[in-house]
Amino acid sequence: MPNSATQFFAGLGVLGVFAGTMGALLGIGGGLIIIPILTLVYGVPIHQAIGTSLCCIIATSSGAAANYVEHRLSNIRLGMTLELATTVGAVAGALVAAALHREALAILFAVMLCYAGGTMVRRSLKASATEPEATASYTIRRWPLGMIGSGVAGVVSGLLGIGGGPIKVPIMYLVMGVPFKVATATSNFMIGVTAAASAFIYYSRGDVQLLLTAPTAIGVYVGASLGTHIMRRTPSRWLIRLFSAIMFYFAIMMVWKALRGGFAG
Amino acid sequence: MPFSERQGEHAISLVLRYGSLIATVVMALGLGLMLAAGPANSLLTYHRVALPALLPRLMHLDAAALTEFGIILLLLTPIFRILVAIATFALERDLKYVLVALGVLAVVLLSISFTIEG
Repeated sequence: MPNSATQFFAGLGVLGVFAGTMGALLGIGGGLIIIPILTLVYGVPIHQAIGTSLCCIIATSSGAAANYVEHRLSNIRLGMTLELATTVGAVAGALVAAALHREALAILFAVMLCYAGGTMVRRSLKASATEPEATASYTIRRWPLGMIGSGVAGVVSGLLGIGGGPIKVPIMYLVMGVPFKVATATSNFMIGVTAAASAFIYYSRGDVQLLLTAPTAIGVYVGASLGTHIMRRTPSRWLIRLFSAIMFYFAIMMVWKALRGGFAG
Repeated sequence: MPFSERQGEHAISLVLRYGSLIATVVMALGLGLMLAAGPANSLLTYHRVALPALLPRLMHLDAAALTEFGIILLLLTPIFRILVAIATFALERDLKYVLVALGVLAVVLLSISFTIEG
């Protein structure tokens, strides 16, 4: 822990601002940014890092979705329906956890992420001029497939301990035909509820530390407000490319963790 | 007067906005008091506050209790959001989505109770 308390809080705050901005822009929770930095740079035990990260996901989700719902970017009905599939999936995942080989699942998942990321990059390069912006009207396609995909996303995120954003956004965008910005805004709306279920569990175990969580969450709140403003002014194709880059990073992390046996616990 | 979809969205947006804003302000107040109170190493003396002791200590503007309360408010915001969604869908007479939202609430509460018991 650095000597100065102000310095310590400020460091966490800056981390939070960055994670909150990225989270609000892309509809992801930011756990992928917060957890590695807390554990590697601050030497925080993994359970406390996850506890902090879950609280920050709620801050990102609430802060960003307040804006996106008001501007009608988040599709509330779509979000709530997929939320149901995801939460049921997460509970199911917890029940069958023992029967599944997590390393194999992680590598399979990484391959799927790369495929989805590649598809998105290709589409953003090919159709950059015709990519529909959020305000365009859209019809949601393939509800059943979207529901099944969200259920699987719930299982996977429950088993591998990852947020659902990187799975939910591609499902909405690639499978259900939802414009990219609506997909990220709806994902932002959803992740708070998914995170809250786990956050209470970490809280009751004492893994939400005041001095770690509060400064990071405050930063995240500021970052999320910043992110919503940037998002509404950025063309979808650039957001799609940024999102794809995050998916490839995510895939690499998954494979790395699997090879190190990080899912054994 | 029938309740419109727009009003429902507005209500949900307000819960999210004020839930996260108030939580952030309360956490910031708590941290501010900690910093104002003294030198860095004394930070290690701030611990979690047990729930029964929270309210009395909040009354005294205790730094740790305020921070803790802010975090609890943050954790409760998504739950409030589901409750408001249930209410607005009901006011819109949209039974299908009342059931969907009730389902989400049930699963979330179930998964919380599961692990607290286990």
